[in-house]
Amino acid sequence: MLNQTRSRPLITNPFLGLGKRLFPYFLAVLFAFVAAGIFIVAMGFNVFQAYETIFTTSFRTTHGFVQTLVKFVPLLLQALAFTLPLAAGKFNIGGEGQMLVGGIGATATGILLADLPPWLLLPMVLLAGVVCGALWGLIPGWLLYRFNISEILTTVLLNFVSFGLVDYIATKVWQDATAGHPTTVPIGTGGYLPLLIKEPPLHSGILLALLVTAGVYIYINWTTAGYDLIATGANPRAAKVFGVNVRVLFVLSLVVAGGIAGLSGSIEVAGFHHRLIEGMQANYLVLGLMIGLIAKGNTIAVPFVAMFISILEVGAGALQRTMMIPVQMVLIIEALVLIFILLSDVIVDFRRR
Amino acid sequence: MFDQMITFTKLILLTMVPFVLAGQGTMLAGRTGVFIVAQEGIMLVGASIGFLVSYLSGSLGLGMLAAMAMGGLFGLILAYFTTNLNLDQFVVGLALFFVGLGLSTLLPKLVIGVTLTPPLIPTLQNIPVPLLSKIPVLGEIFFNQNWLVYLSVLLTAFFYYLLYRTSFGLELRSVGENSQAADSLGVNVRRMRYLTTIIGCMIIGLAGAYLPMVYTGLFTEGMVKGRGWLTIALAFFGGWSPHTIFYASLFFAGIEVLAYRVQVIGSIIPYQFLLMMPYIATILVMIFTFGRAHTPALLGQNYNREKRTM
Repeated sequence: MLNQTRSRPLITNPFLGLGKRLFPYFLAVLFAFVAAGIFIVAMGFNVFQAYETIFTTSFRTTHGFVQTLVKFVPLLLQALAFTLPLAAGKFNIGGEGQMLVGGIGATATGILLADLPPWLLLPMVLLAGVVCGALWGLIPGWLLYRFNISEILTTVLLNFVSFGLVDYIATKVWQDATAGHPTTVPIGTGGYLPLLIKEPPLHSGILLALLVTAGVYIYINWTTAGYDLIATGANPRAAKVFGVNVRVLFVLSLVVAGGIAGLSGSIEVAGFHHRLIEGMQANYLVLGLMIGLIAKGNTIAVPFVAMFISILEVGAGALQRTMMIPVQMVLIIEALVLIFILLSDVIVDFRRR
Repeated sequence: MFDQMITFTKLILLTMVPFVLAGQGTMLAGRTGVFIVAQEGIMLVGASIGFLVSYLSGSLGLGMLAAMAMGGLFGLILAYFTTNLNLDQFVVGLALFFVGLGLSTLLPKLVIGVTLTPPLIPTLQNIPVPLLSKIPVLGEIFFNQNWLVYLSVLLTAFFYYLLYRTSFGLELRSVGENSQAADSLGVNVRRMRYLTTIIGCMIIGLAGAYLPMVYTGLFTEGMVKGRGWLTIALAFFGGWSPHTIFYASLFFAGIEVLAYRVQVIGSIIPYQFLLMMPYIATILVMIFTFGRAHTPALLGQNYNREKRTM
């Protein structure tokens, strides 16, 4: 059996004692909302109205629901870009940069080859995002392989480099002079992702995202390569002894993660904005990390947690519009959920002893 | 040209302060094995609360104290979660980063709300050191700065003395190198980790408060701009020692000022690439120093007294 270290999220059989395992989660979420509720009351707001807004906005109107699904796509992919290397014990905090560089690749392809027919252009736009994101993930991977530099630092630092790149492309290379904000001209219409619903617009990126999720799940849980990944995460030294090329695996995990994050960039470009916009990464990275940590790296749990967070985020927007409670309130609630889940681990562990 | 050199050097000393403070805070906790990764969040919340308290009370000193208190609170939580509850330091650090990120924007919105003109606080005044500031050239560069510049130099000297010239410092370092041995010799590992983490986070909070108080006079969202993350690189680059961290901070500050000055003077290089310089330079620097400089043996590892070692 693998040595279960308490402090690191591990991947386990997703359906083993599901109800018993979910119970601490429910308690953690409950506690987080109670704690945040006290804060909201202290600020002089109606907490019940606030929570009603947070939870129902996504389901009251089709517009709200579609908005939730559109937000779900980048969050899910960002979370996967974090959890995949996490299975090998590596922290990818660079999903944001990989997404933006992927977006740059997609935009460049969409603008330069705008005249190509859709059946050719769309796959090229999507693929360009994946390739560029993977290359951006290769940099920290290579630095880790060659110089043994912590990927935690290099991935974060490359985010800031990517901000500069986006700004440069959106103001110097293909800038849209009519937009008041650094923005590129739109890509060719052949590069647009087809819509699943016309009004309100829901692009088909969600299918791609779910496909990638299934792929990551199969890779991690059903293939020997995925088993190497988990074994490395659980005990790198033991994995090495048993013949896993640990260092190459680290690079590979970061490259694949970069590709996934890059795909989220090209989906944002091809499906939603149809151009590169500075700041289009929003706070997807932070939310993606949070989803990955709340799901404790469990690939099955990731989509559900991502959906939960998307609902909260759409609710947060409504909360600011109708009740003047700043959106950041919800970020704190989410952080509290994470903290209470960490605490529930301690309690579960304590009971098990 | 000569005048420019003076301004340049003076600016480097001004810019090094957040790096020195946050770097020393990170180093202090790291030396007992607690790896803080929430610098970005703690600095943001320090900047935010430091600005708010200064704005409401009219006193920059109170703002700094508030920023340090908030940092200390973050440190207390980090210490409790990692030493008592034995949770992963990196995961707890990230969670605290999220909290800091959210609080830093939430608090000003709640307290001040939306105003037509951005609320401003007076920036920190330079305090010329009597006599010394009269020395030509050097006096202007070194002895006509705000008092946090002097403090960061003194703090470095103090930490150096504490760590390498006192028995307390020896005990402190031993916790980060071999907790078990330290424990068996009667050093209270848990208390030592609490102490360094709380004080370290307090200094990091102060580093955050420096930004609105010296650079801008107002708080803007995400104004730390990755300096917190750079600090982690800085600690590795600086070999987790007070004096080398000080030199590394000078280097980081130099790059930041250089990028800024070139931008002002105007050059053929687009400014976006100049803005990338600190981050790329940090990565390049790490290539040459990472793994070579000394790192505390137990950095990032919790100490569990009951754990068996095989």
